[in-house]
Amino acid sequence: MAYFQARRDFLKLATTGASATVVIPGSLGALGDVALRGEDKFIRSICEMCSSRCPMEARVVNGKTVLIQGNAFAKEMGTSLCAKGVAGASQLYDSQRLVKPLIRTGKRGENKWREASWDEALSLISTKLSALKERYGARSVIFSAKTGEQYDLLRSFASAFGSPNFENSTYILNFGHNLFEGLDIPLTKAMAHFSADPSKKLVVFDPRFSVMASKANEWHPIKAGSDLAFVLALLHVWIRDGKFDKKFIEQYTLGFDKLVESVKETTPQWQQSLTGIDAKVVERIAAEIYTSAPRCIIDWGHKATTTKAEFQRTRAILMANILMGNVEKEGGIYFAKTAERINALADERVAPELNDPYPRPRVNEPRIDGAGEEGMYRFVSRSHGVLQAIPDAILAQKPYEIKGWFLTRHNPLVTVAHPQKMKEAMEQLEFIVVNDVYLSDTAMMADVVLPEATYLERDEGISKSAFKTPTYMMRNRIVAPMHHTKSLIEVMRDLAERMGFGSHYAWKSIAELRAFQAKGDAELLQTLLMRGVASFDVPPLLALQPSSVERFCERYPKSSVLRDTQGVFSHFLRSLKTPSKKIEIFSAEVEKTFKGYGVPRSVDMDVTQGHPYVLTSGKSAVHTNGHTQNIPYLNMLLSTNPIWMHPSTAKAHGLKMGDTFYLQNAISKEKATVFITEGIRPDTLFAYMGFGRDAPQLKRTHGKGTNPSKLLSLESATLCGAMITNVGVTIVKA
Amino acid sequence: MQKQYRLLYDENLCIGCQACSIACRVENSVPDEVYRVQVHMQTMGIFPNLGMHYERLSCVMCENPPCVSVCPTNASFQSKDGLVHIDEKSCISCKYCILACPYHARFINPLKNVVEKCTFCYETRVSKELSPACVSICPTDALTFGDMRQSNSLVYQKSHKEVLLFPKAHLGTKPKVAFIPNRKGAKS
Repeated sequence: MAYFQARRDFLKLATTGASATVVIPGSLGALGDVALRGEDKFIRSICEMCSSRCPMEARVVNGKTVLIQGNAFAKEMGTSLCAKGVAGASQLYDSQRLVKPLIRTGKRGENKWREASWDEALSLISTKLSALKERYGARSVIFSAKTGEQYDLLRSFASAFGSPNFENSTYILNFGHNLFEGLDIPLTKAMAHFSADPSKKLVVFDPRFSVMASKANEWHPIKAGSDLAFVLALLHVWIRDGKFDKKFIEQYTLGFDKLVESVKETTPQWQQSLTGIDAKVVERIAAEIYTSAPRCIIDWGHKATTTKAEFQRTRAILMANILMGNVEKEGGIYFAKTAERINALADERVAPELNDPYPRPRVNEPRIDGAGEEGMYRFVSRSHGVLQAIPDAILAQKPYEIKGWFLTRHNPLVTVAHPQKMKEAMEQLEFIVVNDVYLSDTAMMADVVLPEATYLERDEGISKSAFKTPTYMMRNRIVAPMHHTKSLIEVMRDLAERMGFGSHYAWKSIAELRAFQAKGDAELLQTLLMRGVASFDVPPLLALQPSSVERFCERYPKSSVLRDTQGVFSHFLRSLKTPSKKIEIFSAEVEKTFKGYGVPRSVDMDVTQGHPYVLTSGKSAVHTNGHTQNIPYLNMLLSTNPIWMHPSTAKAHGLKMGDTFYLQNAISKEKATVFITEGIRPDTLFAYMGFGRDAPQLKRTHGKGTNPSKLLSLESATLCGAMITNVGVTIVKA
Repeated sequence: MQKQYRLLYDENLCIGCQACSIACRVENSVPDEVYRVQVHMQTMGIFPNLGMHYERLSCVMCENPPCVSVCPTNASFQSKDGLVHIDEKSCISCKYCILACPYHARFINPLKNVVEKCTFCYETRVSKELSPACVSICPTDALTFGDMRQSNSLVYQKSHKEVLLFPKAHLGTKPKVAFIPNRKGAKS
């Protein structure tokens, strides 16, 4: 009969029928039909369905639907938005969404609850947190939010060095940065136009035939985790032949001789057995990139590329870009131009700078995850942290006693390695609060669950988003909060008052918070209220591109004094945050703590741990790593995650499409079903993230698919603490 | 003034992300588990020589629509702009049109028990000079919509620059939806 009913398994994955309506305590479904209170005119805001935070606009139609699209005031967005972003409405009035605070009545994790008023829930939280503070000190409670995740960590590491400038590039080397399944609209759109342009060249490395790979001129099914070897061989060829930007190396970098030494043996021949890629391919690609330099980008790796040597791989890629001299040049990589940077260069107030609204007393306690401390994670930014380090810290009660945890809308029991251990650690805690839209796997472990207002119901402060020019964004409420949900800002501000430190904040309401941030700049606030984004008429600046610097100096004459004899802002690259202020190809600081890590070299690439297969994982375009799987519209598109397997591998194990089997390693043994496809290396398996959920209250996802995190070790990448998402496994017949 | 609408689907820009399908669902309140538009993806070839086939499935707005001629109540009709619509009040859900449609674009709306399909968002958007929801939302500009009578329109310019394929052209249905075929990867 109906074609689309018959063929709704469009991702070639079996889906099951719609789940029956079951009423969950504290959920929206328990309240019956609810009208949306909002206006039928576009309000501009920021999406929050994933961590990309795209500018969007939305309007309420007939009190029933929220139409959401990209915010065209952000030029690089237009009206574009992804499936998750458009499905925001489906989360907003999902009957399984929480709308009332819940207090645990059974044992921890037993999933028995009673509904409570906000006053009761918040007073219980403030009493318990105050008691923990009294007894064990303030440091005994962890506060964590979504930014702790590996993606942001990785992004922060890469973005400290520079963002890629796809539009003007002619050649891009892409290591598993799957922008067509992990969407970030401005970058995804630019990459789509790049790959569709016959005059450009895109080369993709991924063990799996991803959507990105399907758009490439060349796809190389590289062995999982061996990307570092390929990059080291590229460096070897360029240095061997003297084909690199010698002037750039001389002017802006230190320690090049150490790199020459470390890549002496990393020949194209050498990498063959590690990557599975022919030596001739390395030679050819090295020559092609050098020809297109500096209009070339060697893009940062992501997810499919993680190994213990994450830091080394990212640094090796950075070195490849540096050797091609593409930093701060048209078509290469560039540093984010914040208002502070631009104002300093222009020597006048070009764009407004913001106040920091959150009191941040300098705490002299060591961090439990060690971020920013001497030792394991010395080079992890303090604002990111290492979630994988938390279970050990709790179980060992080191560096000090941990008794409480306040989590907001993130779900480490699904998205972080070895959730079994995380759960064990959570069982040891005296008090857990989870602030979330859903009664997730992690929320099930809480003493108090707070129903969070979704991003469509929240007003928030101003956020920064600098690319080639400074930009600010602001989240504006589209609809009134449904029933009694609250935003995290409201909750924290209320708790601060109850616990007696409300006076530390310079603001009481969101309006005051915004005014404080904007330093009373009414024009900026007005723009952000009306348009959701504020950009400034600043000519895009690339510090080493003479034409760009000239335009900048014409506009801001005082900046001319900074221009050097070659007509560029060379001092910009000599005032970096490194000890020498230059680009350090060899870092003495790193070498001191981690011998052998001071310069890119071949280390720690093996992810098989002696197993015959590597399990990799990633996103589909319709889901995030852990938050969206239960949202009705998105669940309809993809509701489970059979494991990708090459036909020859399936045959060797006697498996047919849809058969059940086990993935096993030293960490766990997990049940899975098989999806047979030519689109993967025979020695590699792949799973979409976010399935295999234990939470029975997520009715649509409960018990479906496999959670690949359950097979991952808590061991993190050296130095940077990134989660290693590739892991060795053995296939065991069911 | 009559229009000559065309919707261009560029397989080279499409990434199969289904944003169009969700935008359509929200805009048109399409019931759960049925679809007015989907993009299907299929891996072609033998490892490692592979390609991905992208196919957009929806009503193609035929100039010679078989669904209109078989309709016993004239519920299926063609507007003066050549768009094919369904009058819900006259539809007796006999399903003749569902069988007649070579593009499998029609289905029964389970809530209303009438036949439904893509309308190019005529009522809510195109009649107000807006693009259909799928076109407007597409993250990669894979869809282009407009009036072919206007030579300054993007759809006109792109149509004259690219190779176009009309789905099942041999049936003589003359679709208003055209595809720009994929230039990369194995085809079979």
